[in-house]
Amino acid sequence: MPPPDPALTLRGVTARYGPAPPVVRDVSLSVDPGEVVGLVGPNGSGKTTLVRVVSRALPPASGAVRVVGRDPYAMSGRETARLLAVVPQDVLPAFSFTALEVVLMGRTPYRSALGGGSPDDWARTRAAMAAASVQHLADRPFEELSGGERQRVVLAQALAQEAPVLVLDEPTSHLDIRHVVDLLAIVRGLAAGQGTAVLAILHDLNVASVACDRIVVLHRGETVAEGEPGAVITDDLLRAVYGVEADVVTDHATGRPAIRLGRPRTLRAPLGRRAHVVGGAGRGAPLLRRLAEMGYEVSVGVLHASDTDEAVAERLNLVRVSVPAFSTIDRESAAECRRLMEAADLLVVCDAPFGPGNLENLRLAVAAARGGVPTVLLEQVPIAERDFTDGAAAELWGALRGLSTVVADYEDVAVEAG
Amino acid sequence: MRLAAGRYRLVLVLLSLGLLASVLLAVGVGAVGIPPTSAVRLIAWKLGLAERPDDVSRATEIILFELRLPRVALAAVVGLALAVSGTLFQGLFRNPLADPAIIGVSSGAALGAIMVIVLGGGAVMGGLGVSMAAFVGGMLTAFFVYRLARVGPAVNVATLLLAGIAVAAVISAAMSLLMSFAGEEIRNIYFWLLGGLSARGWTALGIVAPLILLGVSGAVVLVRDLNLVSLGEERAAQLGVDIDRFKWQAVALGALLTGAAVSVSGVIGFVGLMTPHVLRLVVGADHRRLLPAVLLAGPMFLVLADLVSRVALAPQELPLGAVTALIGGPFFLVLLRRERRIAGATA
Repeated sequence: MPPPDPALTLRGVTARYGPAPPVVRDVSLSVDPGEVVGLVGPNGSGKTTLVRVVSRALPPASGAVRVVGRDPYAMSGRETARLLAVVPQDVLPAFSFTALEVVLMGRTPYRSALGGGSPDDWARTRAAMAAASVQHLADRPFEELSGGERQRVVLAQALAQEAPVLVLDEPTSHLDIRHVVDLLAIVRGLAAGQGTAVLAILHDLNVASVACDRIVVLHRGETVAEGEPGAVITDDLLRAVYGVEADVVTDHATGRPAIRLGRPRTLRAPLGRRAHVVGGAGRGAPLLRRLAEMGYEVSVGVLHASDTDEAVAERLNLVRVSVPAFSTIDRESAAECRRLMEAADLLVVCDAPFGPGNLENLRLAVAAARGGVPTVLLEQVPIAERDFTDGAAAELWGALRGLSTVVADYEDVAVEAG
Repeated sequence: MRLAAGRYRLVLVLLSLGLLASVLLAVGVGAVGIPPTSAVRLIAWKLGLAERPDDVSRATEIILFELRLPRVALAAVVGLALAVSGTLFQGLFRNPLADPAIIGVSSGAALGAIMVIVLGGGAVMGGLGVSMAAFVGGMLTAFFVYRLARVGPAVNVATLLLAGIAVAAVISAAMSLLMSFAGEEIRNIYFWLLGGLSARGWTALGIVAPLILLGVSGAVVLVRDLNLVSLGEERAAQLGVDIDRFKWQAVALGALLTGAAVSVSGVIGFVGLMTPHVLRLVVGADHRRLLPAVLLAGPMFLVLADLVSRVALAPQELPLGAVTALIGGPFFLVLLRRERRIAGATA
C-alpha cells in the first residue's frame, strides 16, 4: 500500500507581519493522517505564526500551505473550517456564553446562517463535550471557568468541527497533570481512531516526547531538527536551541527520551575542603548531593558501575573511582581510592551492604581513619543486617566505630561536616 | 446564562404584550383620550376587518390616524433601528459600551441637518430636505471613517473606534461653529441635537421604514457571525467566518440603521446602548436569542419614552433624547447593580 498523502503540508513557507523581517523562514513540514507531530521551540521561535499561516489568518509571503491537498487561501473560511480545526492558546468571549453555547459554535461550518442546531449538531456537540470531559460544565458561564476548564471547552469546540486536521497551540499550558494525560489520550485516540492528522505546539518537551510520533524543532523561524523524539530531543539540542544544560535519558519503559533538569553547575562557593564518601547500593546518594551543595569537593569510591551512587556521582560530576559491576576491587582502583581518602578533610562511610566485592572499601577506610583523617560513620542499619562476608565486614566496622564519630542519619552527617 | 427554551419563549411573549400595550397606551393618551377599545376598532376598520364603529367621533379618528398613530409608528421604527444598530456595534466591537453613535454616524447626520437649516434649505425643501441631508451626512461619515480604518481588505476595529471618535470630535467642532452663525434657526438645531418626533406625519415614516426594515433583515442574517466574533476575530475566522466581509456588513448595516433613524428623529441616545445590554442580562449573550428580544424591546422603549416626552409637561414637549436618558439611565444603573456579577464579567 502506498503511504497516505499528507493531510497537512507546508512547503518552503516564509511569513512576515507587514514589512518587518520574516518571522518564519523557509519552513517545510508535513503531517500524515493518523500522525501526531509536535512543533517545539523557544518562545518567539515562530510557532504560533506558523499556526496562523496554516489557519488562513496570515498568507505566506512565499511557499505553499495545503490542507488535505487544498490551499486554504483559495477556499472559503467555511470550507477551511470543515477541514482544519484549531485549538488556540486562549479564548476570551466578550459576552457571557455558556460552555455548551461555546462548544456548539464549533458546528458553525456545517450550519446555515439562520438555522438553529439540528438534532445531529446537538448530538455531535454532546459527543465532543464528553470526549473532552466537559459535559458537566455545559450550563456554566464560560468566563467563570478556570483556565484549564476553558482550555478543555475550547478543545471540545474544535473537536465538534470534526475536521481531518487538528492544530493545537499549546493545549496543555493551563492543564494540571491529570488533564494533560487525558488530553494526550484524546489526541492520540483521534489520530488512531479517526486518522486525524495532529500538529501540536508543545512547550513541555517531555510531553512532546511522549505524545508525538515526530517532532519538528523551530528556532529563530527556521526548522533546526526534525524526526522521532529520540533522535531530536538530545543534550545538544537543549544546549544549542534553548541554552540549557540538562540530561536527556531514555525512559526504558516507553523508549522515549526524557529530560531531567537540575544538573548542578557551581552550587556554592567552594569551601576548599575535600570530602570522600564510601557508599554503595544508593546509601551514599543523598550525602553526595548534600556535601556538594555545602561546597565540598566531593569524591566517592570505590563504587560498582550501575550502582545508584555511581549514577548520582556522574550526574553531579564528582570525582569517582569505579570498577565493573560484580567484580572485586582491583589493586589499581584501591590505590587511587586510598590517595583520595588520604587527601580528604572528611571521610564519610555509609551503612552500605558489604560483600566480598566491596570489602576492600572498609579496609581502606580503617587505614585512612588510623592515619588521622576525620571520619564520620553513618549507621542507620546495624552491620549484622548487611554483612555478607561471614563476619569480616562486621569486624572492620567495629574497628571503624572506635576511630570515628558515629551518627544515625544524614542530617547529623551534615552537622558533623559543617 | 442560558434560559430554558420555555422561559425564553415567555420573555418573548411578555415583550410582545408589552409592546402592544405601549402602543395602545401611547395612541390613547393625550389632550383627547382615546380608549384602547376605540383605537383597536378604528384600526380594524381602516384595515377593512370591521365596520366603522359608530360611537367614535370623526375628530377622534383624525387624531388617531393623522397625529398619534404616525408618531407612535415612527417612534417604534426609530427605536427598532437604534436598538438593532446598538446590538450590531456592540457585537462588532466586542464591547457592551458601544452604541449607534460610535463611528460618528449621528454626528455626521446632525452636521448635515444643521448645514441645511443654517443655509436656509430647511425652509425651501421642508422637513424632508433636512432629513435627506442628515441621512447623507451620516452615511458619508460612516464611509469616511471606515476608509480611514481600512488597510487592504482588513479593517482594524480598534482603529475604526478611534477614527470614529476623532471624526465625531471634528464634526462637533464644526457644528459649534455653524451654530454660532445660526441666529433664529437655533431652535431647529436644538431639535436635532436633543431629538424629537413631533409632527413628522406618515411621509417620513414611509421613507425611513423601508430603509430600517432592510437594515434589520440584514442584521438578522448576521446573528450567527455575531456570536462567533465575540470569541475574537481570529477564533471566528478559524470557525469559518469570513471576517472582513462580516465587518463590512456590520458597519454598513449599523450605519444605515443609525442614519435612517437620526434623519427623522435627531440624535437620541441610550436606546441603542441600553436595550441590547439589558436584554443580554435577561436572555443571555446568544445573539440568536438576543436579537428577537431587541426587535420587541427597542420599539417598546422608545414608544414609551416618546409618550412621556409628550405628556409629562403637556402641552410643552420635552426633548426625546433627554427623556430616554432620564428614564433609561437610572433603570440601567439599578439593573447593573443587581446583576453586578454578569455585568462585571462582560464589561
